[in-house]
Amino acid sequence: MSERSWHDVCSLDELEGRGHAVARIGGREIGVLRAGDGTPYAVRNRCPHHGAPMCRGEVRERFESELAGTYGDASGLVIRCPWHGWEFRVEDGRCPDDPRMRVAVYDVRVSDGRVLVHA
Amino acid sequence: MIDCDIHVQIGDPEEFCAYVEPAQREWFRSQGELLGLPSYNWSHPGGWFRHDLESTGPRSYPGTSIERVIAEVLDPMGTDIGMLTADDGVLAGVMANPYRARAYARAHNDWMADRWLGADPRVRGSIIVPTQEPLEAAREINRMAVDRRFTQVLLVGGSERPYGDPRYLPILEACVANDLVLTIHSGGEGMGVAAMPGGAGPPNFYIEWHTLGSACSIMAHLVSLVVNGCFDRLPALRVLLMEGGLAWLPGILWRLDTNWRGLRGETPWLDRRPSEIVREHIRFTTQPLEHTDGHDALLFEMLEAAGAPDILCFSSDYPHWDGDDQQTMLKRLPESWRAKVMHDTAAALFRL
Repeated sequence: MSERSWHDVCSLDELEGRGHAVARIGGREIGVLRAGDGTPYAVRNRCPHHGAPMCRGEVRERFESELAGTYGDASGLVIRCPWHGWEFRVEDGRCPDDPRMRVAVYDVRVSDGRVLVHA
Repeated sequence: MIDCDIHVQIGDPEEFCAYVEPAQREWFRSQGELLGLPSYNWSHPGGWFRHDLESTGPRSYPGTSIERVIAEVLDPMGTDIGMLTADDGVLAGVMANPYRARAYARAHNDWMADRWLGADPRVRGSIIVPTQEPLEAAREINRMAVDRRFTQVLLVGGSERPYGDPRYLPILEACVANDLVLTIHSGGEGMGVAAMPGGAGPPNFYIEWHTLGSACSIMAHLVSLVVNGCFDRLPALRVLLMEGGLAWLPGILWRLDTNWRGLRGETPWLDRRPSEIVREHIRFTTQPLEHTDGHDALLFEMLEAAGAPDILCFSSDYPHWDGDDQQTMLKRLPESWRAKVMHDTAAALFRL
């Protein structure tokens, strides 16, 4: 695999306007989506389950509960697939519910009003 | 061989009424042969019993005496241990009147202890409960469980809500506290206060009730017990699901696992695949093992995916018309499954 480098995906205005963005980098489609507070996250734009466009999913808090009937505590952010709702941790792209399932995730930052993805 | 489902019948209502508390005897006597239990909207057009077993009169059904049970099922099948299950009696749990249900269940349990459990060393008993009142049901379990000839608590498939609902926790807790198996036997769907069978409104025919009602209620209880986290709350809970069919099991588990991955936020206490929880905590009786028209190998391959043979326990369902014969079952089962299904799984479940 080639070295990763920073790629300009779109302007921050575009991302905020549409809520998501897609770029083709090195033959792969990479999606960018935003958490509720506006923070952007980048992910391979193909769910390993059924191929859904991950950029149309949601970044949301995952809650884990130890006790039946209670809804527990926040355990970190996940990207939730827009089709079947499978969840993947933002840090490493792993599905907490199925260790065989993982989606590639990429660092993303905003610089001078541009959204940059490290892919 | 362990037979997990031998139905015993009340032959003489007067014999049964002797176990009812005196103040309620007159009411039970006045209710006819069903003794106040809800009657079936959908009844077998030819009668529930095997027709080769003679009924010589209203008090001489098959299964009405230990002599008949010995002669008609224990001896001919070479049974080592036979779990006696209530027949109509289990419908106490869906009677409209919970106070009558309480009296019926107490009488039935005392009747079984007194008339059946000492009569042959091979038989074990089932405790029935007024499911309408879970706290009272738990008290009844505690009362009867000191008699260790009882090995299980028997609930009927028909219910007001599926048994994983938290209202039923006292019953589940009493099973665990007394080291008893919680058994759910299909039947009673759409009767008394129970929900309709099948999920699409009342059916027209017995064949609909028998095809769908009994399977659907068992599916509903399975899913409910798992997703409500009953096995997380009570890790020692052991459940036996009885007479709901089996071929649907892999499909339901695959469906449940798939939904769990996508809907886990709704039940975040489920920290592993539902099918794993089922394999660990739930067992199934074999009767009525579906006739597959030559596809037994396919059936067994699918059941293997659901955890068979380690989840299967033989049951004859004596003396009902749709019972399974143990010789036929032995011929159908893969050779490597036979010891487990006919004995080992049930022995482990009931700690025999």
